Amino acid sequence: MLSYDVIIVGAGGAGMMAALNASEDKSLKVACLSKIFPTRSHTGAAQGGINAAMGYRDENDSPESHFRDTVKGSDFLADQDAVEFFTTNMPKVISELDYFGVPFSRDENGNIAQRPFGGASSPRTCYSADKTGHVILHALYEQCLKNGVKFHNDWHLLSISVNKGKFEGIVAMDIRSGEIHAIQAKSVVIATGGFGRVYWSRTTNAINMTGDGTAACFEAGIPLKDPEFVQFHPTGLASTGVLLSEACRGEGGYLINKDGERFMARYAPGKMELGPRDLVSRAIEMEIKEGRGFGEGMGSYVLMDLRHLGEKKIMERLPQVRELAMDFEGVDLIKEPVPIRPSCHYTMGGIHVSDYRTCSTPIEGIHAAGECCSVSIHGANRLGGNSVADVVLFGKYAGIGARENAKKRGFSSTEKLLEEATGWTEKFKTIREKTNGIDMFKIRDELAETMWNHVGIFRTEAEMEVAYEKVSRLIEDYEFAIIGDSSERYNMAFLNYVEIGNILKLAKAIALGALNRKESRGSHARADYPERDDNNFLKHTLIYKDGDQYRLEYSPVKITKYQPEERKY
Amino acid sequence: MYSTLYIKIRRFDGKKEWYQGYHLPYEKGRTVLWALTTIREQMDPTLVFTSACRHAICGSCAVTINGNAFLACKTSLDEVLETFQTPHLIFEPLKNFEVIKDLAIEWEPKMEKMEKVKPWLLPTEEGSKELGFKQSEEDYHQIAAPTDCILCGVCTSECNQLAVNDGTYLDPFILNRAYRFVVDSRDGSPEEHIRPVFENELWKCLHCMQCVSKCPKGIPLTEQIAFLRQESIRMGEVNNQGARHAFAFHDDVRNKGRLNEMTLPIKTDGLVNTAMRKVPFALRMIKKGKINPFHMPKAVEGIKGVREIYQYAKEVGE
Repeated sequence: MLSYDVIIVGAGGAGMMAALNASEDKSLKVACLSKIFPTRSHTGAAQGGINAAMGYRDENDSPESHFRDTVKGSDFLADQDAVEFFTTNMPKVISELDYFGVPFSRDENGNIAQRPFGGASSPRTCYSADKTGHVILHALYEQCLKNGVKFHNDWHLLSISVNKGKFEGIVAMDIRSGEIHAIQAKSVVIATGGFGRVYWSRTTNAINMTGDGTAACFEAGIPLKDPEFVQFHPTGLASTGVLLSEACRGEGGYLINKDGERFMARYAPGKMELGPRDLVSRAIEMEIKEGRGFGEGMGSYVLMDLRHLGEKKIMERLPQVRELAMDFEGVDLIKEPVPIRPSCHYTMGGIHVSDYRTCSTPIEGIHAAGECCSVSIHGANRLGGNSVADVVLFGKYAGIGARENAKKRGFSSTEKLLEEATGWTEKFKTIREKTNGIDMFKIRDELAETMWNHVGIFRTEAEMEVAYEKVSRLIEDYEFAIIGDSSERYNMAFLNYVEIGNILKLAKAIALGALNRKESRGSHARADYPERDDNNFLKHTLIYKDGDQYRLEYSPVKITKYQPEERKY
Repeated sequence: MYSTLYIKIRRFDGKKEWYQGYHLPYEKGRTVLWALTTIREQMDPTLVFTSACRHAICGSCAVTINGNAFLACKTSLDEVLETFQTPHLIFEPLKNFEVIKDLAIEWEPKMEKMEKVKPWLLPTEEGSKELGFKQSEEDYHQIAAPTDCILCGVCTSECNQLAVNDGTYLDPFILNRAYRFVVDSRDGSPEEHIRPVFENELWKCLHCMQCVSKCPKGIPLTEQIAFLRQESIRMGEVNNQGARHAFAFHDDVRNKGRLNEMTLPIKTDGLVNTAMRKVPFALRMIKKGKINPFHMPKAVEGIKGVREIYQYAKEVGE
């Protein structure tokens, strides 16, 4: 049996930052597991930047302002002690990244350049052109190589073993050989990213963002915090969900429905296409719902028309947007309008982190960092530029936390761990042999359609009840799923099967949390409860899984400095 | 246009290798990744390939089509069909990589190789973990393009030197990574990145330009290789085949405006090596009328202009 002092699951920004910090103590045996090669991780897709009050561009900026902006952006659902810790420590982490070799764009004084971003009172977003996440991911990987971090690439997390409240280890598959391993550990950092793939084709997320670590923690008894908060972006490309920059609306693009109308006149006659993200997203979905979109079902869309800007302006101002539309949607913006539809962008909720300093969870030895968890610093709505910041900062503290924890804790028993590994080995064997049943991709697509239509951009009691029932039924169907691949080595179909199991579990929690939150706050917009209700819902949702039963609890929000007020920009 | 595409994929299960064909209905405006995904989800769930972000930033999904490497998510099928003028396409894994299964390739051996060039910042004393660095905008621009690399492996697959090399020659993306640190003003030990590059057959690049023309990020790989060579010369590495060959070119062209094919191998390899290794080859060439041993090239007509160019390059270089 494999055995490590600290295991990190996931090799994105949070995972590698954790691995670097955990392996600083050379007496500890540390390994980082990832279902893909580290530099493929989704941190790399972050474009715009990383927030830290360096004060280079605006000397009046401060961690305090960053703190206030983040709390306000969160619609007051963020835990303020955690946010203050985050904003206070961010500038140090930026310097550390600089020292790691991250190629940040620079200002005329040789300092790291900063740009303005939505919801920020000062220009504090550090960046590297439009590839900030990419360069951070690569620099962290380089540092891991330098420090000899042990990677198990192409290893897929299957479950986390907790026996009578004690963490034992994890079960994972070595994808290339098909072998299932029990791995004993003193502590673990889960850093497996978000779960936007609950909405499958309607997300900006990479295809593997299926919340494997979040689902494993949930299964192991750790609650999910605030899963109902899901951020949507109004302009995803219609066929793939790939993000089309906000710049196309900024430069004066028209949104057009099937009847050729600029339909924003109905929703925001003053601002038209320049209305805020959530309002534009809702308007597009309303047009589609009322039959004024193009296409059908999940393939529905409206058009973004930029032709009136003319070739010159498009080439000057939006060359990258044009290239993106050509590469990924096969449309030349100069000649044709591009099909678009909102796209799920970020999951604010996730594994319940109970101590932000160590990123520990209610189960001793299990830590979590990044989009897979909820600290919570984003509350009901994340600000742009705060996600990569979250990932590196809390990745670091999770790594330190797990390291210190491993020094204090011994190994637990391996009783349940071995049992779970055997269970997975059996399951892998059985499912490979199964030839009759339901196509798993059909289950996945039905899940996405249900979640998109009923627990998507705007939500009502009746629709969410339908969705909750439907998802519960799909979970039953999943028992009969077939994968269509009998091979042992590199069985991608089996991994998809595991991933679909994970998004099903998480989708049900999203629906349950959303159904019970009878208010509108941040990204959670309910047509039947359009106002924020601090008297009843200024609290975190916590959803537990007891066997097949989901149980709902709430916990208070930590408010230290900023009392809730109306969120106006 | 075509109504159906016939896609043949090279399969490999760890032991045996075979080609499997799929008929795929044509749809306008789709990508190569769409084709792969559609085959896997609708026809054959056993097909293995890797992909993640689907917008050309994660570098997972490169494959070869009819022998040429492409990043699947960024490549439109229409473009491929137009290039090859046939609806029959052959998908294979990237060349010059170990294949794990079907189109999935192994990256770890490449990373081990990359570690030779110390692919991490060796910081100068001007920076610190607490305060970071100062770096001018101009110095940042030096590292902007090379840090675009997404490790997709397209350059490796296209590299003609790697195709015949014993494995010592460094993949173009590794040379790029070394270059990236050599030109970073925050790196205090550029020689530590250049030395291993030089020691691993830096001069063997064939200048075929395939890597640079296929790189999905448009990274100027060959210019970087030229730069690394110059730096190695600057470090005093002049007494080697590659440098001598470059000097022979340089001198011949300056003197006569053209190469002297007869003296070039002697200047590059020395008289003894040339006599031992190249003479039989030269004799065969003479026999076929490919070279004339008695031809001593005269200076070209515009030799004055050539020398002016040299002078200009020298001034610009300074």
